[in-house]
Amino acid sequence: MPELELNFEVNGRTVAKRINPGLRLLDVLRDDLNMTGTKEGCGAGECGTCSVFVDGKLVKSCLMPAAKAEGTRIETVEGLARPGDLTVIQRAFYKTGASQCGYCIPGMVMAATSALRDNPDAGHEEIKERMGGNICRCTGYTKIIEAVELARDVIAGRMSPAALEADAVGESYIGNSVRRIDAPAKVAGRLKYAGDMIMPDMLHMAVLRSPHPHAEIVSMDTSAARAMPGVECVITSEDVPGVDGFGVFVHDQPIMARGKVRYVGEAVAAVAATDERSARRALAGIKVTYRELPGLFDAADALAPGAPVLHDYAPDNIVKHIPLRKGNIEAGFAAADLILEENFSTQQVEHAYLEPEAGIAYVDHDDVVTVISPSQNITHHRHMLAAIIDRPIQKVRFIMSPVGGGFGGKEDMIYQGMLALAAMQTHKPVRIVFTREESIVSTAKRHPSRSKVRMGLTRAGRITAMEFDMLSDGGAYGMSSEGVMRKAAILSCGPYEIDNLKVDTTVVYTNNTPSGAFRSFGGMQVQFATESMVDMAAEKLGLDPFEIRRRNMMKPGSLTHTQQKLGTASLGMVLDAAEKGSRWEAGAPTVRGATRGDTHGAGTREPCKLGERFAAGPETKERVA
Amino acid sequence: MERTVRGRGVAASWYGIARTATIDRAGAWAELDDGGTAKVVTGVTEIGEGILTLLAQVAAEELGIRPEQVTLGDNDTARSPEAAHAGATRQTYMVGNSIALACREAREKLFAEIAEYWDVEATLLHAFDGILHAEGTNKSMTMAEAVAICKGRGVVPVGSGSFTAHGTGLDPVDGSGAPWQVYVFGTQVAEVEVDTVTGEVQVLGIWAAHDVGRAINPRGIEGQIEGAIVQGLGQALMEDYQTVEGHTTTHGFAKYILPTALDVPEITSFLVEDRDPLSPLGAKGIGEPALVPTAPAIMNAIYDAIGVRITSLPATPEKILQGLKEKRRRNEGIAAE
Amino acid sequence: MLSCRSYQMPKSLAEALALWRGAPEGSRLIAGATDILPWAREGRAGDVEIDTLIDLSRVAELSGYQQKDGRIRLGANVVWQDFLTDPVLARSLPCMPFCSVWFADDQIRQQATLAGNLVNASPAADGTPPVIALNGDIEIARLDGDTVVTRTMPVADFISGPGRTDLKPGEIVVAVTVDALPGYGGSYQKVGQRRSLVISSVCCAAVVKTDPSGKVFEDVRLALGGVGPKPMRLTETEAMLRGKAISADLIERASAGPVDLVASRTRVDYRRTVVRGFVRAAVEDALAHAAQSAQSEEKETANA
Ligand SMILES: Cc1cc2nc3c(=O)[nH]c(=O)nc-3n(C[C@H](O)[C@H](O)[C@H](O)COP(=O)(O)OP(=O)(O)OC[C@H]3O[C@@H](n4cnc5c(N)ncnc54)[C@H](O)[C@@H]3O)c2cc1C
Ligand code: FES
Ligand code: FES
Repeated sequence: MPELELNFEVNGRTVAKRINPGLRLLDVLRDDLNMTGTKEGCGAGECGTCSVFVDGKLVKSCLMPAAKAEGTRIETVEGLARPGDLTVIQRAFYKTGASQCGYCIPGMVMAATSALRDNPDAGHEEIKERMGGNICRCTGYTKIIEAVELARDVIAGRMSPAALEADAVGESYIGNSVRRIDAPAKVAGRLKYAGDMIMPDMLHMAVLRSPHPHAEIVSMDTSAARAMPGVECVITSEDVPGVDGFGVFVHDQPIMARGKVRYVGEAVAAVAATDERSARRALAGIKVTYRELPGLFDAADALAPGAPVLHDYAPDNIVKHIPLRKGNIEAGFAAADLILEENFSTQQVEHAYLEPEAGIAYVDHDDVVTVISPSQNITHHRHMLAAIIDRPIQKVRFIMSPVGGGFGGKEDMIYQGMLALAAMQTHKPVRIVFTREESIVSTAKRHPSRSKVRMGLTRAGRITAMEFDMLSDGGAYGMSSEGVMRKAAILSCGPYEIDNLKVDTTVVYTNNTPSGAFRSFGGMQVQFATESMVDMAAEKLGLDPFEIRRRNMMKPGSLTHTQQKLGTASLGMVLDAAEKGSRWEAGAPTVRGATRGDTHGAGTREPCKLGERFAAGPETKERVA
Repeated sequence: MERTVRGRGVAASWYGIARTATIDRAGAWAELDDGGTAKVVTGVTEIGEGILTLLAQVAAEELGIRPEQVTLGDNDTARSPEAAHAGATRQTYMVGNSIALACREAREKLFAEIAEYWDVEATLLHAFDGILHAEGTNKSMTMAEAVAICKGRGVVPVGSGSFTAHGTGLDPVDGSGAPWQVYVFGTQVAEVEVDTVTGEVQVLGIWAAHDVGRAINPRGIEGQIEGAIVQGLGQALMEDYQTVEGHTTTHGFAKYILPTALDVPEITSFLVEDRDPLSPLGAKGIGEPALVPTAPAIMNAIYDAIGVRITSLPATPEKILQGLKEKRRRNEGIAAE
Repeated sequence: MLSCRSYQMPKSLAEALALWRGAPEGSRLIAGATDILPWAREGRAGDVEIDTLIDLSRVAELSGYQQKDGRIRLGANVVWQDFLTDPVLARSLPCMPFCSVWFADDQIRQQATLAGNLVNASPAADGTPPVIALNGDIEIARLDGDTVVTRTMPVADFISGPGRTDLKPGEIVVAVTVDALPGYGGSYQKVGQRRSLVISSVCCAAVVKTDPSGKVFEDVRLALGGVGPKPMRLTETEAMLRGKAISADLIERASAGPVDLVASRTRVDYRRTVVRGFVRAAVEDALAHAAQSAQSEEKETANA
């Protein structure tokens, strides 16, 4: 392999390495120097988890060929403070609760450090702009920006360092904003996520993925790949010893495609090799012949007579239909003075946790097949894997590594099975780290939805009846679809007591990227529709939006849409809090934005105007002081 | 019309916590350890929501020590009791309560020994922040001493806890049932500014009121609300995973657009505490529910600003301008009549 | 994932040109690498194996800039952040800071070059509209035997379509020369799907100068990006405004013209609507900045 000699300084130490000339600075830091505080969230310059200082300038190390580092001075998150210590900025992150999953945090700390080094007096807007190249999926940025401003003020002596210490505790630790116990490890870049872990003799896995949305696998030849240098095993569904199939509700997905592929990006075969590049190269050596099948790309088409069938067990392509019936829907509408009808739709949404999927599997000294991964459900994964690899349950062990963001997206066992199989075949630890693109193309999304909603109301604003019909595209496999439909149905008509209901939620198979669990599990899709419609009704009836909600809200003793009697219900309390807290000016929602008196007040930010820090030098300074 | 217009909108929401249809459950072990510290083992780790800190707080409170003195075991199917899955806004409720129960049992073992040692009623004992005392007496010692005495008497103060939720699944015909043990409610108000030249929407403020039952770590809850709102905002305005004939066209973060620090509103949270009567802690959950009202509150605010009703997410600049154009056409039509 | 057999970092232009001439088929030039590295990923080019990467960032002749005869010659290694932080560039190229602040983010601007942006020739590039508004010429070098020869052409002609330029085998871009326009007001209007790290759906660059009274357009330069295969200079609109008394009505009428120029393959309706508003906003914004810069020039004269 060609090599390039690289001499540079990292965190004050001189480093001389012979490297592969195609590597990026990020690769050298993480793989050659084992400095894993710098993360790879996207590999394309779009997220900032890889930010490092090069000769004092902050850059994204995934966009920097390592050769460019020759003769430079590099500073990474590990080098900001002495080992075991934290900088003021890191302590401010700790104090404000700025780290959640922590995966973006080393990069955020670097960006914050850069911002305050460049301008110790940076104002709120400037800090936000300077951090604008770093994505965080967990925190909503608020506590991060708060941390940077706190650090700025402590460094400038405007605030006492005591502001960084824990809040005093009164009579109870419940109700105390105890600082997160995992924060020091996260702000210092010390925490090891699965993709940061290494084991002696470890192999690297790459996955061959389907280029077709729907096709029969006519033949597969892995012999050329097996013969390639560095390759230790190639696995396909034929290597599965037990009952192949996983899923949160139905076990309809094989760990690698079995006879048929059902979506683009589905795993078809996997290679474990001594290094990542060899593993990726070997994928080209796997010859697969496909016979393309007609595909289904729209939920409505899946229900049409004669539609292609994706799974034999579901000839109608329906994964799940949940009906709710309450009261008498016709009578309810008959009693209405106003009937509204509207269609709503929501898109497919990517979880975009900053940590792409990763894991390591090995077979231990007691013959226990062990998988370390950021799985959101190790209990269920262990059950399923034991059946798939045909081992007694106590010989299968799952360890949940720190999860760099999940939001439901790491509940599906989409790669752990392949890792386990490869570890069993090679008796070596095997690691996989997804690329961002691989994560996006192969993992479940939020269910897209199309809802048809009818609402009947009296002149006084009481909802007399509601009909809610939602169709969702579940994609190629069932995953969490069933539960999502159930929760969507349960919550569909909102937090309102409605006597007459007809609700149907249906999810179908298609050849699109699968949909699965995602924070709020169907709840947001339906309530987007219902809450929009409540406002539409309020406009028609001349009612204030808070008022119409109060007239219909569930109260203790109310029957829910599933006829469950509520012991407690706090909608009145939260409506009051939001109305008062936002200084809401009462009135019907009749497009009165331009004339209302409650806008532009406390609790709003200035609209973002980029670059004010460059436009008006002296003015910005004044504002800061 | 001015180039930019403001508007405000509100949306309410509800959310079910503690699944009962497929019975939810969680287990935990606890041990009061040397030095007045504790080991707590349960099958969870962080997905970022702050659960470890919360569990340390609960354990500390129940055991009378400090959160930093609690060591939490890793989530490992071979080494820790089942706590089931890390999702569904169930961690505080399910795991928090199971840990509270496990810690209570460990504490009771210790209290029984110390009560005998001091010759007082165990019910008089109270421990907080590392100090144990017997109410109405001047007897007091550190938890470190208490553990040493307890062990000296041959007892390791350990406990275990299991917690479940009660209810029923849905009837297959009419869907009736009690699928969740607790429901939480929320309301958010959004203030937006719409640029009528570009169609861009900036969300400038969100006021979020959520019932959390009992706020165990207020700052942690705010963090969950802020994060959820920004995810909701992303879905409301920009995020859109797209495929053409099954092939994704949004491969990476260059095409799949996420909110950055420049897109986020100022967020004001109001934590409403309507205690849950059905569980020892009285806390509910916040992870998922806070995302639910954001998108409709923003859509209602957009309507308030420009009179365009967006019924299909996301509300991209293109849809906003299209909506304005249609509205203008409608108004002209009405004027012509 | 990008792989290469050899990575070269020449220090002089002659060395770079020699390497480039001798490089095997499929070799590439590289500057900031911010286009090349993301390109070699799944969903785009996938795994790419390149023979030789020739990194130009240490070529001495490509660094820095020179002022001459009312023009500024920007070396090919000038990076985007320079337009924000270098006071001479910020003052002389009044639309560039506004463009730059919208470009990627603070970190990428430290690496990404203007020249790389022009060679990449994306229809959505932010670099092209301001450069053609500033009458930019591109200077290209190649080896003729052992001597370095250069040719120069307008950037507007250099870019011939999406990803297509007039660059020939063996050639390297050495500089971009643009008009220096102190005393002008600049503006850059951009819309994408958010406000940081965002590719333009539509963008519009403007530089405007008024007469001393501030009541007449002395000069107006306008260019659009994101609305067709290549950037467009709005010569007709400029002509409508140049020499005329400034009025809201005139600006409004002038901004209606370019709408028909929108020739994108997608979202045409949207782009048309935005273009109209953008031309107007860019002119108005540039006028406001022109007033500011006239004031500050006055102050400077007074102080001197
Ligand atoms: C996250 C992200 C955000 C971005 N945001 C924006 C944005 O907002 N607006 C925008 O317009 N672009 C944006 N880009 C694209 C990119 O950063 C720019 O096009 C940049 O200016 C390219 O410059 P570079 O020096 O990095 O080019 P490189 O990637 O090094 O090269 C680009 C091309 O130019 C060639 N080249 C470079 N220098 C020379 C030379 N001297 N002679 C001949 N050929 C040469 C290379 O061979 C290559 O084909 C973004 C990219 C990323 C990753
Ligand atoms: S920006 Fe480098 S990994 Fe995302
Ligand atoms: S804490 Fe920022 S991505 Fe999780």
